[in-house]
Amino acid sequence: MLDFISDSLVIGLTEHAPLVLASIGFALLYRLTGLINVAYSETVTLGAYFGMWINTSFGFNFYATLIPAGLIAGLLSVGTYFAVFRPAKKLNVGALEMIIISFGLSIFLRHGLQFIWGYPVRFYDVPPPDTFRILGTGVSSFRLLALISVGVLALILYWFIQRSSFGLRIRALASDEDLAQASGIRPLFVTVLIWFIAGVAGGLAGAFYGVGSSVAPLLGWRQFLFILLVVLVGGSRGLGGVIITGIATGVALAAMSLQFGQVLYAQLALITAFVVILKWRSRRVAETAKV
Amino acid sequence: MNLDWLDAFLISGLFSVVIIIGLGLLLHLQLGLARIANFGVVGFFGIGMYAFGVMFVKVDWPFSEVWAFFISLAFGTLVAGLSGLLVGWLIADLDEDGVLVGTLGFATAVLILATTEQDLTGGALGLGGLKFPYDIGSVKANEFLWLIIVTTVVALILLYVGRVHRSPYGRLLIAVGANEPLARSLGKPAFRTKLWLFAVGSAGMGLLGALFGVMVRFLDISNLGIDVTLAAMVALVLGGTARVWGAVIGGFLTIGLFEIVVQSYIPFPQGWYGQAIPVVRQMVFGATLIVVLLFRPLGILGDMRRDKLMRSMHGG
Repeated sequence: MLDFISDSLVIGLTEHAPLVLASIGFALLYRLTGLINVAYSETVTLGAYFGMWINTSFGFNFYATLIPAGLIAGLLSVGTYFAVFRPAKKLNVGALEMIIISFGLSIFLRHGLQFIWGYPVRFYDVPPPDTFRILGTGVSSFRLLALISVGVLALILYWFIQRSSFGLRIRALASDEDLAQASGIRPLFVTVLIWFIAGVAGGLAGAFYGVGSSVAPLLGWRQFLFILLVVLVGGSRGLGGVIITGIATGVALAAMSLQFGQVLYAQLALITAFVVILKWRSRRVAETAKV
Repeated sequence: MNLDWLDAFLISGLFSVVIIIGLGLLLHLQLGLARIANFGVVGFFGIGMYAFGVMFVKVDWPFSEVWAFFISLAFGTLVAGLSGLLVGWLIADLDEDGVLVGTLGFATAVLILATTEQDLTGGALGLGGLKFPYDIGSVKANEFLWLIIVTTVVALILLYVGRVHRSPYGRLLIAVGANEPLARSLGKPAFRTKLWLFAVGSAGMGLLGALFGVMVRFLDISNLGIDVTLAAMVALVLGGTARVWGAVIGGFLTIGLFEIVVQSYIPFPQGWYGQAIPVVRQMVFGATLIVVLLFRPLGILGDMRRDKLMRSMHGG
């Protein structure tokens, strides 16, 4: 039993660490704009593709590719804001239509990436990793470094949003745009900053996903449902809640994969559990409203 | 029957158009009237297709193949309808975000089950053995007759959707979509209305999935991609979300353009048809959703609608 718990913890944390990073980025956007941006999944994919391209074309090691991969994903995110979401907001497009627009944008970008990099699965060119034993479970040096990097990046983002003056502006804007504007906060600058940070987080998560397995057009889309679930379930408790839910999701996925011997069953169980949580929560709210 | 005049690509192209129009019509009731964005269209389509296929191929039926066919078809439709009831119950009181999660989650669940339950579905290898419930000669003749049958089914769906538009039930759907709390406060059964809508719509999507399975005769998980949902949504949005004929017009302009005009009448280099054209097609569909919803939210037929409530609901 102890072995099972330690295996679940170690595998869950090391393998699913990028989920936490991607969820933080998505949560930032969701909190500021209230928008479920389906196209966020493509910033994850772009991060993976761009990192892989720099790694295989210019011989950069993986960690050197992180900065350009994050930057380009951040720029893509800002680009989508200016090209699509800002005009949509100005045109007073409804919440439902916004989701469909972001879905269309996601499809457009995904196939655009496929058009550029081709259909076959691509791989990073990285040296074979060493293996360490943590709590009796074998972990590659590479996954361990990824976990540490994701942990550090997540903490920096958390600190930036919760403690820095920029973070304060971001949270102020998310709470009340008019009041924030009256207080001297420049909404456009802060909004662009958020879209950029969210894109960087997604791109970095994509690079970690890509180097851990492979790079394919559906990489971001396959993670999107879990990112969305983590943010919707954990987001009500702020960024801390998103981080904790992301970690718990990773560990639960690993534990159920070990239990069922099949990662897809684990995903199925988790999707069901999250949807039931959302349903239960909505019922609770409805009951309160009745009183 | 001499069908030399008929191109095989034209039959399959028209079949794709008809299926997507059918899905678009059912989506119209959910998205256009009740304002429920069902991103899991392919899930209901897929569960109907697989439930039918598994029942028809895997069960050792004691009676004739024709009876087995129709019982399996009914089973596929019923399973999809019951799934719709379950998903509808889960999402009926959730907001847009919850609906996205619930419907997308359901489509993912169907894909996972089709992949993992190899004994039943064949998993990634697929499931063969499906056939038409008749044999009138050549493959082309059988396929042509099937196209006519499925077109008739979709025409009946169009008739049903048209009747819903003019019925008290249709007005109830519009009221629930426009302002659910208000509809509830007036004593309208919003929750039950949504459940019924989802059950019937999903059953229809499952039936279309089963009919599609018969045409392709081989079920594999590549049929369960998000492309199906996208195609139905883009057809509906382009034609006009709030109009009965929106999905029909949109279906011909989108799927028809790529599956018939590009496939059969524009001489692109042969190598392009494998990967380049499908990729460009998806890019065009994605861009269409964005452009239409930004600049003409009611679609091509939108302005002809006289109903102010519908216009305001859809941002027109």
